[in-house]
Parts: sequence; structure tokens; C-alpha cells
Amino acid sequence: MTATALSVRNIRKSFGEDEVLKGISFDAHSGDVISIIGSSGSGKSTLLRCINFLERADSGEVAVAGEIIKTHKAKDGQLSPSDKHQLKQMRARLGMVFQNFNLWAHRTVLENIIEGPVQVLKHPKKKAVADAEILMDKVGISQKRNHYPSQLSGGQQQRVAIARALAMQPTVMLFDEPTSALDPELVNEVVQVIRQLATEKRTMIMVTHEMALAREISTHLIFLHNGRIEEQGPPQLIMENPKSDRLRQFIGKF
Amino acid sequence: MMDFFNNVFSWLPELLAATPLTLILTLVAGIFGLVFGTLLALARLSNILILSVPANMFMFVMRGTPLLVQLYLIYYGLGQILPGTWVRHSVLWPYLRDGFTYAVIALSMNQAAYNGEVLRGALRSIPKGQIEASMAMGMTNLQILQRVRLPLAFRDCLPVLTSDIIILLKSTALVSTITVLELMGTARMIQRESLQIYEPLIACGLVYFAVVMVLTNIMRPVESRLTRFRKGNA
Amino acid sequence: MVIHTYIEYMGWGAGGWGDEFFFGFLMTLKISLSAYALAVIFGFFATTAKLSKNIFLRFMAVSYTTVVRALPEILMVLIVYFTVAGLAETALVKAGFVDKGFQFNPFWAAVFALAFVAGAFMAEVLRAARLAVPEGQIESATAIGMSSLQIFMRVILPQMMRHAIPGMGNLWLSITKDSAIVAVLGAFSELLYTGYRAAAATKEYVFFYGVTAVLFLLITLISIAVIQWMERHLNRGYA
Repeated sequence: MTATALSVRNIRKSFGEDEVLKGISFDAHSGDVISIIGSSGSGKSTLLRCINFLERADSGEVAVAGEIIKTHKAKDGQLSPSDKHQLKQMRARLGMVFQNFNLWAHRTVLENIIEGPVQVLKHPKKKAVADAEILMDKVGISQKRNHYPSQLSGGQQQRVAIARALAMQPTVMLFDEPTSALDPELVNEVVQVIRQLATEKRTMIMVTHEMALAREISTHLIFLHNGRIEEQGPPQLIMENPKSDRLRQFIGKF
Repeated sequence: MMDFFNNVFSWLPELLAATPLTLILTLVAGIFGLVFGTLLALARLSNILILSVPANMFMFVMRGTPLLVQLYLIYYGLGQILPGTWVRHSVLWPYLRDGFTYAVIALSMNQAAYNGEVLRGALRSIPKGQIEASMAMGMTNLQILQRVRLPLAFRDCLPVLTSDIIILLKSTALVSTITVLELMGTARMIQRESLQIYEPLIACGLVYFAVVMVLTNIMRPVESRLTRFRKGNA
Repeated sequence: MVIHTYIEYMGWGAGGWGDEFFFGFLMTLKISLSAYALAVIFGFFATTAKLSKNIFLRFMAVSYTTVVRALPEILMVLIVYFTVAGLAETALVKAGFVDKGFQFNPFWAAVFALAFVAGAFMAEVLRAARLAVPEGQIESATAIGMSSLQIFMRVILPQMMRHAIPGMGNLWLSITKDSAIVAVLGAFSELLYTGYRAAAATKEYVFFYGVTAVLFLLITLISIAVIQWMERHLNRGYA
């Protein structure tokens, strides 16, 4: 039995009257690749953003490597982190890759990658650069190290964003639809990087529309519908034998 | 404290009486400024160097120096030169002894330079297709200018032109320094005569604030009407 | 009038006005720079207040920017100048730091007055610039665990400066020109007041106001060159 890298308990979240997450729980063990699928509006991205508190859930609990993120109920009814210092540490251990890359526009590729290690982890710059070089090689972006994000294609930007997240040596990687903002011909270069990370047994949670990728690399698939986990299990099993009509319909679209 | 406010309010009638002069200055300089500004913009965009270079220089100098310096230069400078010329004996002379005339000249020139710059940008950003469509119909250059380019340019920069009017209104306060008794000039006169430092200024501020708010709210509907052809502005 | 008379006018020392204009030029720069620096501070405070959740702070900031931007600069400068100078004098005398009859340094009162006006415009520029920074840029910094201060210093500030530079450049140009207004106070010799004194003493109005205008134009020219350089520098990395 491997250690629990990420544990999500009973996350609830409403936007006004609209309850988008109705109590979600799951665990990711070390080396797990969990893909979260579901139609748009099913709350997939919100769930991911609740995990690192970019979005505040209304209730629930998140633990990284066994350590629970301390929270309290704020006046507005939302779950508020109690210990800012702990939250920052936890966030540093959750590498986030955004749909729209969100590379810092005023920094070069290299500067984007070393920003976190230097500023948050307080690594010496030399070490951060040396580490970044390995990562840039890994995602195949070394030649562009001194380019600014605006000078790169979407696929290149997303690869840099992955390297930036990896540079924090996170316990868990969170991918928020990493390929859906890309032109079709650029999807593959990013998919390849993600596939490689999966073979290295990195713990990853990925919200995605790429059914083929989800099926290929996931150890576990979660189908979200109307704010609930409708079905989950090993990808082959549940994709070939969907129990619910909704999942059948959803898969049928692809 | 009560005294203070009573004093402030006691100056309002006198200041309100001076407000029309402020508005007239704004209106006159606004109209002159728009007319000359249009000519300046066209001159600057023309291919004829003898038009574009002086227009360019004029606009740069007017926009690059303080209005107050321009006012002094025109008021005291022309006052130094004109008496030695034929103007001294012309019918214009009585007007030229009045600060108001110089104020209008300086404000108009300044406003023309700013309007000219805005209009130049607007004229240049007119899509080529609009002009090509007009040429294809056989319109003359003058027709294209009158019927297509200027109307498009004016509507395009209307928000800036209207906010420039507010700036002009505020700038008219500077002419109080060359003896014109508009709002600001009146306030400063009261200040000297009553020996009250704050009250006349505060009262003056109240009047300016009211005028600016009213003017802004008058111009908003005009603006949205003239730009109603734009998307989302219906 | 012959050329060499004009050269004499602009001579150094007791006979000419060259030195006076030189120091007037420096004084104008000094006033403008001080007022500008202070205006940036005012602007930052007002922007922060405007974007804050506290209703009272928001109300104060909105009143400040609305009122100041609706009133003529010369009026605001006079009001603030007299108020600041007056209040500061009273306060200092009451506190016993200075003797009765003390006069507040008019330089700082004038600088404060100019900055108070420019700060309201600065607040608008900074607010627009802050809102122009995409939320995603801040989120990715939050996601790696940066502190609020780090996020502000390393992500928000550099990015908003790029949007703020054109507006801040314009404000610098207008503050150099607005600084001429303090000539009306007659308290110290910046460029316009120097021109005024020279012209009044010699009756050479055209010449001396001409010189004044040229020197202001020189400030504008230098400023534009510097601003353009900064814009290029800050636009690195943007297509």
C-alpha cells in the first residue's frame, strides 16, 4: 500500500443558488494518475481549484501527504485557510498547470521556471537555474530559455508552464484542462510531456477533455456529473462498461 | 464653524454672477478650438510640407508649454508690440486693451492644438475601406472629407473632445491672472477685498463642481446619441 | 533692439538674467520631481482605497478623485496651499516646535498642493493599470505559494507598470506644466516667476516669456525622450 499523496474529503461549493459540487471525496496515492472527466459545467475545474484554495469551498477537507490544510468557516460562509504560512507551503507542494498557461508575461521562460524555487522555496539562484535546465530539456524548450511567453506558441507555453510547476518538486501535479486552449496541431506535444510524466509515476490529478489520453495514462477515472461523482474506477473498466446512462452518453460523444 | 459656512454661502450670488463669463469663454474658445483644431489636423496630415511642418510645430509648442506661459506671452507680449503698429489706430484697439480678447486667443490656440492632435489620430484610424468605398462612388476628395472622413473622425473621438471641453472649462480659471473677472478671478478679488482666505475659494469650488457635473451630464446623452451606430451603444 | 542686447539679457550675474533662469529651470524640475513622487504615493493610496472592500475607504477615495478632478488646478493649488501652510504652521506652533510667527516652508506647501491634484489623476491611471493585469497572472503566483507581498512586488507591480507608463508619462508632462501655476503664489522663483520678474523689470515681455516657453519646451522634449526609452524598456517580452 502506497502512501496517500492527496486526500479530498466531502468538498461542497455553491455559486449563489447553484450548488456545483455536492460533496466530493477521493484519494490519490503516490503514483496515481487520476483523470476527472465530465461535461462542461459539471464542476471539474472548480473541484481542482478548490483543492489548492484558488477557489474557496463551502465545506470539506484537503490533505496533502497526510497533512490537513487548516481551515475555518469565514463570515461569508466559505472555507477559509487558517494558517497562511501552512497554506503557502501546501500550495508549493501542489503543482498547478492552468488551461491558459498563465505564464508571467514579463518574465522569460527561464525566469518563469526559477521564480517559484527562488522566491518561495528560497533555493539559491544557481541551483534553481541548474534544476531549471534539466526541466527545460525534459519538456524540450531549452532553445527558448530567453524568450518571453508572447514569443512562444501555445504548446510551447504550456510545456513551460509544466516545467514551472515541476520546478517546485510538488507532491501532486494538478492539470486544469491543459490542452483545451491549444490549437489541435499543438495538442500532441503537450500530451507527450504529460504521458512521460505518467510513466515516471508522478502523482497527477488531471481535468481533461482528452478521452484517449485519460484512458491511456490514468490509473483511475472519475466521472463527474451535476456536482457528484457519478462513476469511478479503472479507465478500461468503466469506459468499456459504463454503468450509468450518463456516462454512456458522455463516452458516446467521442 | 457656522460662520464659516455662512461666509461661504454669502459669496455664492456674486460668484454665480461671474459664471456666465466662464461659460462664454469655454464656449467661444471651444468653438474656435474645434475649427482651428480641425484645420490643424488636416494640415498635419497633408502631404504639403509647408502646411504639415508648421502645423506640427505649432501643435508641439502649444502642447509642450504651460497655458499660463502662453497667456502671459500673448497678453503682455502683444501688449508690448501692438501699440507700436497700425493696430493702435484701428477699430480693433478698444477690444485689444481688454484681457478677455487675449484670453480667448490663448485658450483657443491651446484648445486647437489639443483638439488637432486628437482629430489627427481619429482621421488616421479611419479604415481604408470607408474611403475606398467613397472613391468607388466617384466622390471628390472634398466630398469624401465632408461626408465621410470628418463625420467618422468626429464621432470616433467624441468622448475625448467632450472631456477636453471640461478641461478647457477648468483652464479658463487661469485667465484670472490676466485681469479677467470670470469665476476664479472674482473669487480672488473677493479674497483680496474681504481678507477671507478660504471662504471665497471654497464657494468658488462649489460653483465649479456644480458646473462641471451639469456639463458632464449634459454631454453624456449627446455623446451616446452621436455614437449610436456603434455596437453595444444603441 | 539688437542681438547683443539680448545676449546681455541672458548674461550671468548681476547684469543678466541667465543665472536666474538657470536656477528657475532647476527649481521647476525640483518642484515637479518632488510633487510627482508625492503624487505617486497619493495615487497608490487612493487606488488601494478605491479597490478595497472597506466602504468608508472607497467613499473617501472616490470623493477625493471626483472632487479634485472636477476643479481647476489653480483653484485646488490655492486652496491646498493656504490650508496646508496654515494648518502646518498652527500645528507646529501649538506643538511648541517653533516660535510664533513661524512660516511654513512655501516650497513644500506648493509641492504638496501640486501633488494633491496630480495624485487624483494618478489614482485613475494606476487603477486602470491594476485592473489590466489578468487574473490568471495572479492565480499562477498564488498557486505556487507566493505571499501577497511577493505577488504584488514580483507580478502585479511589474505588469501594471507597463500599462501605467503611458498615463504616468502624460501626468509627468502635465505636472511640469502645472508647476507653472505656483508662479501665481509668488513665493519662489521657478521658471515662470523668473520670466515674470525679468519681463517686468526690463519690459521685454516677448523676449523673456519666449525664453520661459523655450525652457519649458526643453523640459518636455527631454521628458518625452526619457518616457519613450522607458516604454521600450518595459515593453520587453510583449509582442
